[in-house]
Amino acid sequence: MTRTAAWSALALLVSAVLIVATGGSPVEAMQALVRGSVADATAISVTLLYAAPLLLIAAGACVSASAGVFNIGQEGQVLIGALAGAAAGLRLALPGPALIAVVGLAGALAAGFWAWLSALMHRLRGVDIVVSTLLMTFVAQQVVAFAVNTPWLLQESRLGRATVLPQTNKLPPRALLGSLGSYPGLQLNAGLLIAVAAAVSVAVLLTRTRWGFRVTMLGLNPAAAAHSGVRVTVVTGSALAISGTLAGLAGAVLLTSPLSTNRLQPGGTLGLGWDGLLVALIARNRPLLAIPVALLFAVLRSGGSFLAATGVPSYLADIVKALLVLAFVAPRVPWRRLAVA
Amino acid sequence: MGALTLRGITKRYGTVVACDAVDLDVERGEIHGLLGENGAGKSTLMRILLGLETRDAGTILRDGRPVTAGSPREAVALGIGMVHQHFSLVEPLTVWENVILGDTGRIRRSRACAEIHEMSQRYGLPVDPLATVASLSAGERQRVELIKCLRRDPAVLILDEPTSVLTRAESAELFAVLRRVVRSEGRAVVLISHKLAEITAATDRVTVLRHGRVVFRSATAATDVAELARQMVGREVADAAALGLIPAAPHVPEKAQGDPALRIRGLTAPGLTGIDLEVRPGEIAGLYGAEGNGQAQIGDVLCGLVTPDAGTVEVGGVPVDLRTPGALHTAGLGIVPEDRHRAAVVPAMSVAANLTMKDLGTRVWLDRRRLRRRARELAAEFGVVATSLDAPLSSLSGGNQQRVVLARELSGDPRVLVLAQPTQGLDVGAAEDLHERLRRCAHDGMAVLLISTEIEEVLGLADRVLVIASGRVAGELHAAEATPEQLGMLVGGGAG
Repeated sequence: MTRTAAWSALALLVSAVLIVATGGSPVEAMQALVRGSVADATAISVTLLYAAPLLLIAAGACVSASAGVFNIGQEGQVLIGALAGAAAGLRLALPGPALIAVVGLAGALAAGFWAWLSALMHRLRGVDIVVSTLLMTFVAQQVVAFAVNTPWLLQESRLGRATVLPQTNKLPPRALLGSLGSYPGLQLNAGLLIAVAAAVSVAVLLTRTRWGFRVTMLGLNPAAAAHSGVRVTVVTGSALAISGTLAGLAGAVLLTSPLSTNRLQPGGTLGLGWDGLLVALIARNRPLLAIPVALLFAVLRSGGSFLAATGVPSYLADIVKALLVLAFVAPRVPWRRLAVA
Repeated sequence: MGALTLRGITKRYGTVVACDAVDLDVERGEIHGLLGENGAGKSTLMRILLGLETRDAGTILRDGRPVTAGSPREAVALGIGMVHQHFSLVEPLTVWENVILGDTGRIRRSRACAEIHEMSQRYGLPVDPLATVASLSAGERQRVELIKCLRRDPAVLILDEPTSVLTRAESAELFAVLRRVVRSEGRAVVLISHKLAEITAATDRVTVLRHGRVVFRSATAATDVAELARQMVGREVADAAALGLIPAAPHVPEKAQGDPALRIRGLTAPGLTGIDLEVRPGEIAGLYGAEGNGQAQIGDVLCGLVTPDAGTVEVGGVPVDLRTPGALHTAGLGIVPEDRHRAAVVPAMSVAANLTMKDLGTRVWLDRRRLRRRARELAAEFGVVATSLDAPLSSLSGGNQQRVVLARELSGDPRVLVLAQPTQGLDVGAAEDLHERLRRCAHDGMAVLLISTEIEEVLGLADRVLVIASGRVAGELHAAEATPEQLGMLVGGGAG
């Protein structure tokens, strides 16, 4: 723990040096970060909006990683979730609450299936799951690009002589996730509630159910799990599907949240899929620990957009994030053994 | 002036003292036995010598000069060479490539081969320098290791449990070679072993370690097996097999009765050819052979880790579908596999989880209270010593981990119990305890299959001994007619 703290301090120090090197002031940058993320109700609202999809993705990553399956294709699964959600939201004429539920469900199921395809490829052809989940992300990007560039699929309707962009129409307002209750200036989006519920469910699932016990066993010692009667392919497949399901749900939440344009766009995930994976990594695959970590990452997201105003390039927020991840992973590296080799 | 002198070597891991002010004197021209139970500190001591561990205190003298090896490479330069229990050869490479591995400069095959040829002649270690290591038997591989080590001209040669992979005949050959190395070249040999018979047969002097301390040292000729056993364990031990001794009196077989509880027919898998064997309720059947002859593969099949190419396994007269995970367990076969950490336990999970992981119930939700109660009962019944049932299994000693596996396997009331190398890595007390439980299981009507490379264990426990060599059953003997010589012949005959 103390070592983690020391590494984190080092990461922050390096970040400060980088800020100075790019001509900024670390103090100002810090202030901007705070202003953009937690200084007032509006900033907090944005932070919480970012936290919801991050937490959903991370909770899913915890499931697959616990089973010893490294799903790193969340970015693509988020896209597929958003695609299915957009299709449902734009095509189905349902009343508000039902439509919201169907959008979420469509996104979750589609991405769950998408992730499960990697388990299938592994089963049939022995394709490495890390590789296939990653590559399926690029396939997902092309599928979405195709959908939003093809008029008879999901591309936005042509109005008069206006240029048509590669994106869908805006989702109807009744399909969007609203705030829970109303507070002056504060948005408490329903997506966050879904995400926290998902993280708690995953924690319960992993520790209290027979399936969760088997997942844990499989992740820690596949041979012993097989020996004890765990059906390895079934458990692997279901763990992957669940992690995809949660990423897809994150895609649907993102699509219907005030953060986005409420249209499906090829870059609409904002790279949150990758961030969610990092959240799980730092939380060491513990879903409940992922809640505060997701909040921290959301702070870096919302605060990062304020950095540019201080003359510091906003991508420095990404570098800080990367350094923090390294700081959390570093204590687990067997330094001694490396030194001997 | 000794070739190698250790003074006050101390090593602590946290509060555990692995080596406590150990003094050791190894003279030129002697084979020095280092005897001790598993966990007595033998390996730690040698790892310090080789520079794989650092010592907390003490001095190492080579020919009277204080030295410290920072790495195995430096140890070689100091004239200390070691043949490890588990070989460090690169299997796809040839013998000569393995021997010169680590050399610098130009590689010349013809010179390396000539050198190996000359050394095999000198030491009586026949080996073909052009053969691929993967195609060699365990005995031949050990010759390669010895040549590799002797080529660097060590003044002190350390052998760690060298006979665990050898047949009796091969062990005898090895000791003859060591004798030659010591006599004619004035080298010193340290022979590390927990087998009493080996120490008395092959060494000139012996040092006994117990709980990290030197408790006894003597000329081998001036002591005897009983004395060494007492010094090694610290008390009288009746179970000869647990001490690595051939039992004095032949084993009186239990009355086995009824139809076989375990029947294996024509089992063929990589490394196994047409294995047939039967075990009846109430008997302990031993499956004896040297390492690398198919015992491990049979264990893997009975663990459900390998699906055989052909053949059937019947438990209680009912064929088991080996493709279904856990089918053997459901059919009533309990197994304590050879490599506990690979297949039998999840070291990172709790003791309680490991005790109950095959008996999670049929509902979606775990009945955590029932599982806890079950774990507590089993731990008490089998004498598992753990600080807490929630502690990770890896925090337990080898003997206690073994008890956890045995407790879990027996908790399902199996018809058949299979144990593979069950006492490997256990101290004498734990081995004794295990042997006693096995006898009781068989007495209560269980069919027990004991897969072991330890001839003493097989002779001490089994009512019937099957010998496996080169993946085939080479013969079968009843306890009354099974002698070390008979078994040795079957092992050697099958391998030839």
